[in-house]
Amino acid sequence: MAKSTFDQENLDPEYFDSERYEHHVPVFSAGEVEGLTEAPQTFGWLAWKRFRHHRMAIIGAIGLVVILLLFIAGPMLSPWEFDERNIADRLQGPSSDHWFGTDEIGRDLFVRTAQGGLYSLRIGFIAAILATAVGTLLGALAAYFAKGTDIFISQVINMVLIVPALIVLSIFSKYSGGNATSLAIVLSLLLWTRIARVVRGVVLSIKEQEYILAARAAGASHMRIIFRHVLPNVVGPVVVEVTLLLGTVIVLESTLSFLGLGVQPPNASLGTLVADAKGNIDNDPIRVLTPGFFIVMIVLCVNFLGDGMRDALDPRSKNERG
Amino acid sequence: MFAYITRRLLATIPLLIIALYLVHVGISLTTDPRSGFYLCLPRCQDGFDQITEVYNLDVNVWMRPFIWFGDVLSGDLGTSSSIGEPVSEIIVDRGWNTALIAVPAFIISAVVALLLSVYSARHQYSKGDYLLTGLAFFGLAFPSFVLALLIQNIFGVQLENWFGVKPFNTGRKTNENFIELLRDIALPVMSLSILFISADSRFGRASMLETLNQDYIRTARAKGLPEKRVVWKHALRNALIPLVTLWALNFSALLGGSIVTESIFSWPGLGPAFVRGLNDADIYLILGIVLFTGLITVFFNLVADIMYGVLDPRIRLD
Repeated sequence: MAKSTFDQENLDPEYFDSERYEHHVPVFSAGEVEGLTEAPQTFGWLAWKRFRHHRMAIIGAIGLVVILLLFIAGPMLSPWEFDERNIADRLQGPSSDHWFGTDEIGRDLFVRTAQGGLYSLRIGFIAAILATAVGTLLGALAAYFAKGTDIFISQVINMVLIVPALIVLSIFSKYSGGNATSLAIVLSLLLWTRIARVVRGVVLSIKEQEYILAARAAGASHMRIIFRHVLPNVVGPVVVEVTLLLGTVIVLESTLSFLGLGVQPPNASLGTLVADAKGNIDNDPIRVLTPGFFIVMIVLCVNFLGDGMRDALDPRSKNERG
Repeated sequence: MFAYITRRLLATIPLLIIALYLVHVGISLTTDPRSGFYLCLPRCQDGFDQITEVYNLDVNVWMRPFIWFGDVLSGDLGTSSSIGEPVSEIIVDRGWNTALIAVPAFIISAVVALLLSVYSARHQYSKGDYLLTGLAFFGLAFPSFVLALLIQNIFGVQLENWFGVKPFNTGRKTNENFIELLRDIALPVMSLSILFISADSRFGRASMLETLNQDYIRTARAKGLPEKRVVWKHALRNALIPLVTLWALNFSALLGGSIVTESIFSWPGLGPAFVRGLNDADIYLILGIVLFTGLITVFFNLVADIMYGVLDPRIRLD
């Protein structure tokens, strides 16, 4: 009998990839287990069910799609160009011609808001993805290899946390040129630490589990274990962090751009649009309010979405809201 | 305890030094204080040499930070080129102004956030809880500059009778009269408090909820303790532990100068000084402010760790 417990199948590293070891959700089909009246559900299905019932998350997702559609399709419907000047029509209020009015040199603010919004979102996405990639990898490496690697990476994280984020950001972005990619790189340099800490925490507990030991015994390399067996388990917490991070990045980028340290003309982001309009805020508050409104709405939707994902993907969370 | 503090400082001060080194090299590599002199060079050789002397430009970029470190150790932070005063004086003056709005904002936001989170946790999923959670979400989505501009516009311009005629665009700061001072700090404090209340109250609610679901709270209720005592004595002390870290970070962020809010309200604090230094490539001012904010962050993180031990005697610091 001893022979069958050590058969070839148990030693095959592929065997340990299966879902059942990752989230402790056994995958039996209903027929296999007697007396089971309800078909058991996989983790992904349960998460989707929880997410679907999270009203705020659905509102957030729909809101984001609507804003994206408006930003992409809006300028196509509008007759104006992003940089088209029309001095005769300067500083107009909202009208059927210029939906959000015009600025000091007669550029259409609806088109500028839409393009600026897309630019903000683009920086946000690039920075969030970069920060996630760096944070996940370094966090996992720190926890997995422990000892010197862990001490080094943790010290770098502490250093980034010691110096106030906005101050460092402004120093580096001031001298980095101000295009979308370099700005996103600067932003992600400061924002990977949070994800790294989360991932490090999760991996610290995962690496003690038996299936890692089993994979090691079966001869899998460290890299294979990290990428095939460890990292798939941090997808849940990381997805939540990325969503929330996207909100943070958009706020930070617009703040930097507002201070004149982020996006530089001729490009525009929602932050620079607010900065352009603030000189005239006393007479014309609408021009500040429209880009400001879109920043708030985007971040609000992203945060709702992140909150819903947390409830859906965190295995500890019960379906409290029903 | 003393050993713990020493060890913490030994671990964090080198990090701060490395960060300052990188900032110094970064600015030196990208800016040149002599840029205005090259065109008139033979005639203004004296000025050129003077600038070279002040910024040690004849020294290798990678070695220059060490000269600055040496000066700092002997108590000399250099002179700001953009404001024209010694950096140490600027930091003391501006730091005091910043503290004038940072301390009230911190106290108000901490107290209000605590009360709101206790209410939300005790009445989970009630109408009041949903309202507060919604408001907190809304507040969290506001970038500080949008909020500050809105508050300035609503209370400083549209309702100008409330606080006098536009007192907040003028950059005035009256220390003579306490009532005047209160009126001057009201709007910056309001916008800072709203931001911190929204962040803290969501965090506090989660922490309080987790504590209220613990077994020992059920025990306390089962043995018949009045609800007030259970919440404010038994639960609060444990729920405070994660909040204390957040408060330490908040307070150090506030004391370091809130760049955006102070700039919008023209408040003569550290934030606008920093932006000015940045725009004029004023290296000594930038480094001085980074040093100051870094030290504050290190100090308050240490305070937070010591507070852990006070709140929860099971946490040993050594």
